[in-house]
Amino acid sequence: MEQNRPITLLVCALGGEGGGVLTEWLVDTARHAGYAAQSTSIPGVAQRTGATTYYIEVFPVPLAQLGGRRPVFSLSPVPGALDAIVSSELLETARQVGNGMSAPQRTLVISSSARIFTTAERMQLGDGRADAQRLLDVVKAFSREHHVFDMNAIARESGTVVSAVMLGAIAGSGLFPFPREAYEHVVRGGDTSAPEKLGKMAAASLRGFAAAFDAVNAPRAQAAFVSSVMAGEGNDAPPQAAPLPAELASRFPPAVHDMLALGHARVLDYQDAAYGELYAQRLGRVLAAERVADPAGARGFAITREAARWLALWMAFDDIVRVAALKGRASRAQRVRREVRAGEEDLVKVYDHFKPGAAEFAALLPPSLARRVTAWDRGRQARGLSPWALPLKVGSHSVFGMASLRLLASLRWLRRRGSRFAEEQALIERWLAAVEAGTREAWALGHEVALCGRLIKGYGSTNERGKHNLLHVTDELAGRTALPAAARATAIAAAREAALADEGGKALDAALTAHGAAPRPVQAQPIRWMKRPPSVKA
Amino acid sequence: MLRLGAGDTFHGEGILAITKGLLQSGVAYVGGYQGAPVSHLLDVMVQGKAYMDELGVHVEACSNEASAAAMLGASIHYPLRGAVTWKSIVGTNVAADALSNLSSPGVTGGVLIVVGEDYGEGASVIQERTHAYALKSSMCLLDPRPDLGVMVRMVEEGFRLSESSNMPCLMELRIRTCHVRGSFECKDNIQPAVSTRSLMEEPAGFDYMRLAHPPVTFRHEKLKGDARIPAARSYIVEHGLNELMPGRRHADLGIVVQGGLYNALIRSLQQQGLADAFGETDIPILVLNVTYPLVPEQVADFCVGKRAVLVVEEGQPEYIEQDIATLLRRRDIQTPLHGKDMLPLAGEYGVEVLAGGIGAFAAKYIENIGSSEASSSAQTWLAGNRERREAVARRLGTPLPNRPPSFCVGCPERPVFSALKLAQQETGPVHVAADIGCHAFGTFEPFSMGHSILGYGMSLASRAGVAPMMNRRTLSIMGDGGFWHNGLLTGVQSALFNGDDAVLLIFKNGYTSATGTQDIISTPDDEIKERAEDKQQSLVDKNQTIEATLKGLGVQWMRTVTTYDVERMRKTLTEALTSDFNGLKVVIAEGECQLERQRRIKPWIAGLLKRGERVVRVKYGVDEDVCNGDHACIRLSGCPTLTLRDNPDPLKVDPVATVIDGCVGCGLCGANAHAATLCPSFYRAEVVQNPKWHERLLHGLRGAFVRVLQPA
Repeated sequence: MEQNRPITLLVCALGGEGGGVLTEWLVDTARHAGYAAQSTSIPGVAQRTGATTYYIEVFPVPLAQLGGRRPVFSLSPVPGALDAIVSSELLETARQVGNGMSAPQRTLVISSSARIFTTAERMQLGDGRADAQRLLDVVKAFSREHHVFDMNAIARESGTVVSAVMLGAIAGSGLFPFPREAYEHVVRGGDTSAPEKLGKMAAASLRGFAAAFDAVNAPRAQAAFVSSVMAGEGNDAPPQAAPLPAELASRFPPAVHDMLALGHARVLDYQDAAYGELYAQRLGRVLAAERVADPAGARGFAITREAARWLALWMAFDDIVRVAALKGRASRAQRVRREVRAGEEDLVKVYDHFKPGAAEFAALLPPSLARRVTAWDRGRQARGLSPWALPLKVGSHSVFGMASLRLLASLRWLRRRGSRFAEEQALIERWLAAVEAGTREAWALGHEVALCGRLIKGYGSTNERGKHNLLHVTDELAGRTALPAAARATAIAAAREAALADEGGKALDAALTAHGAAPRPVQAQPIRWMKRPPSVKA
Repeated sequence: MLRLGAGDTFHGEGILAITKGLLQSGVAYVGGYQGAPVSHLLDVMVQGKAYMDELGVHVEACSNEASAAAMLGASIHYPLRGAVTWKSIVGTNVAADALSNLSSPGVTGGVLIVVGEDYGEGASVIQERTHAYALKSSMCLLDPRPDLGVMVRMVEEGFRLSESSNMPCLMELRIRTCHVRGSFECKDNIQPAVSTRSLMEEPAGFDYMRLAHPPVTFRHEKLKGDARIPAARSYIVEHGLNELMPGRRHADLGIVVQGGLYNALIRSLQQQGLADAFGETDIPILVLNVTYPLVPEQVADFCVGKRAVLVVEEGQPEYIEQDIATLLRRRDIQTPLHGKDMLPLAGEYGVEVLAGGIGAFAAKYIENIGSSEASSSAQTWLAGNRERREAVARRLGTPLPNRPPSFCVGCPERPVFSALKLAQQETGPVHVAADIGCHAFGTFEPFSMGHSILGYGMSLASRAGVAPMMNRRTLSIMGDGGFWHNGLLTGVQSALFNGDDAVLLIFKNGYTSATGTQDIISTPDDEIKERAEDKQQSLVDKNQTIEATLKGLGVQWMRTVTTYDVERMRKTLTEALTSDFNGLKVVIAEGECQLERQRRIKPWIAGLLKRGERVVRVKYGVDEDVCNGDHACIRLSGCPTLTLRDNPDPLKVDPVATVIDGCVGCGLCGANAHAATLCPSFYRAEVVQNPKWHERLLHGLRGAFVRVLQPA
């Protein structure tokens, strides 16, 4: 460490993570160790969960040896002139690196691998999360040395807040010329008694401090951390295999077995063996088509594999029967206990929020009746009333609540005779036909149409929107023989991505028109019209 | 910390040091309006009420900056040292009228106005300089070097400067200066001669010269130039308020810098190899701890005979540089003057920015510096930063999403925006006049609502021109902070007087919260908080000041709705936007600031658990296998604890919503699920700790039956 310039540290944290306490600890530690130090921050309203930074400078020569001279410290971090960056969140680390803060020749970067997703990432219809691997790469590529581990996990396990963990990481890195004791002394608040005699808070802070200290200090453990982080990223882990009936296995190539097994099991659990067989038959048709397009199976039967996934999910479409079944399971009750961290002795009461509307009930009625129900509901809306719905708060921990859930779940038989079942089957057939036709025409085209299965999900309006988009994409693009197949494939891919861009479907319509297709027909939506009369009569 | 005396060393934040400085100066009264970054000054004084009474210092938490500035009128007649504080530029704008009327007659007792210069990184207001006010009203402007010792000295000097010149003194402190942690050697606090403990017997005699009223205002205007500014200048010189740092090598060059920028300047000189870590500089520096008025002789002496001078002045326009240019020209001093021609016109002057300007200056005036080791290293450093930024951007591909501040977990204001989003699905989009306060977070994702922000409490006034031109009604959003700051008068009174057809949504959370939950007149009383059986409940409904005030003014249409009841809020907003009533319609969204509630709840719960008493903890959750991965719930909430995780279902690819630890069980998730008919994946869990025996029994029996019904 050069003796003629301060040691510089940038701390990145989110509002409410105790960054202020951390800097106070650091400055006090420096003082007790006999070094000149200064910290600054820009809390502002970032205290409300926004990203914020703290900046600390310490002069590497003890005050006593400065002969009364006082270093002039900078109040703001200098890009490219930092000795270390410590950050409690991976994306914020990458942000500071992107601001040019970290210099590959000079800067040590200690970052939490934990992601706290921004609203922008969370609110996407599909998966809007930033690619953590990419963020890690940036951190690695633009730092002299880097330590990445899950600070939040350590904080949780130690029962403390992330600021204590960050302090431990800083101490463990040996960035400042302070002994470990100097840090611990400050965390103890000057209390020198044994750990067990310390206040709860201080003890927890010391635990977090120690864990992080070792994590950064011991390189081997470190490497383990990083690799574990890498493994954790992305959900491309191979789906665990469900038992697959031999008879079924014989009808499909091994490449699709894992998906097939999962899909078949799902459909079976959803309805019955007959429905499972229907699933197999439908998938068989896709396979037949793909065998024509790619006899050698050079592409690993990707179409059949994707179809196996999306077909199963569509056939097992969500309805009140399904939801009741899922919520009524014992395994679910245990999962809730875990999620809310209930102790052995604690009682847990669980209330489920349902709001079935006319459509949900109509779904289980035969078409003729269903039509009447929906007609009645439309009538309501025409009269300016909101669509009929029944807000329920069912206590699934209570006898009555569980009984009603089980009763609903037992209505499977009714589902088959219901109007929605028929509708869904018809739509599934339309999509499958498009997949088959596309595949026979060109593999890429079939593949893209199959992938469009992703657009189908959820309940009520979400589900309606998805179907509407999917059918429009297939009808408008898949079948447009005017365009060459390859062009259609790319168009469909673009449309699929666009469909997940916004609820209104602005992006989708744009994509459609961009590829010469018609935008989706406008959906009628009743709004309460309010027209102020002009204050001045003309 | 404020009690420290001679011989003690103060360790802490800059703004607290300033506060200590006030007491060391024998200040008699202190007032102000909280706002980052100076809130702390008033907060500690209000908290330290007992000690202030001991000293005889009066502390007033003013209703806005105008009332704070008016308070300074005490120093016109009487030998009272007074200090007020607020966030600038906005606060100074609000205070401007009183400041003019204070500056005109001038002051007898020293006056110090401590303003947070909220400029640059971390700022939360429009970017303008306070400097203009010092110029137009002839107030001294101090901009101390960010060293706690110097800052405290400038507080003490500021009062004397004010008294010797009869000019009020402004002291501008940048954000990082307020939050800088350092130390200084204390002095004893001084009890003011006249104070709340030793009162004045008689009021001052009548003296027209002390009134800001013609004809004496014309005399005042002359006095400013003839007597006051000269007096100030001589005090500045005699007491060495500005600092001259000699240059070791290039005495024929010079830099004039605002005190507040000194540290950044030194670091950038270091980066260019023109200074060392202790501030020993090669180029002489004139540090202006007082940036107005300048002392022409002092500046001229500094500039004369030099080959060139660089003025380092943050923000626009470059008042100081222009001032210096004029005085040099008048004295026919030919020294080349640089400033905004080498440094950027706008924005914060960080080290990197300054290093660029210094580099240009050095390259022009220092012989073959280009070839020197230091300069080439500086070049490499600056170029490296540029290249690295581009390289990272390329690697990342897409720019990283921003992370603006947002509503706290369980904030009572979030549900109102959920309801407003839903209401607009019925009424169609409406023009939303937004305001200053936490509710301004509603302008960020996932709500992105608000067409304009015209100032604190200005939303209702700012729709007056829009509403008459628009088919649909417009909505004005205001916090109770903004309401009391001036929304009541500029907005409500005006709308009623003009019989406007307007809709006002007031967030009644009980505090001015964005800058740290300060109490206001509609804050629930402490004894009510004491008496409350259930500390978790919102208590703002216990204070009806806002409702009473509006009734008193004659508001005909007023609805109060609990914010967490999204369905009812949606209905009420729709009604307000569509009803046949054409006057002012006020919707009061009632829900106490969650930060404040948690401060109350946490110790209470801890106590109950310690005593082994019954505690019910509420947490919401999402069933991973029911969640449809569409995230509509998040688009309607944005709560930090409602986030994503990988889909446990290998068939599905989109992440599922999940509620993480930290959920305070505010109920919004459930309310939204019903109001918006979201997917049925939300559950509300009530965890009962230390349940009563009969509860346990009942639950046991229940459990037995439930398990019989449950499949695995």
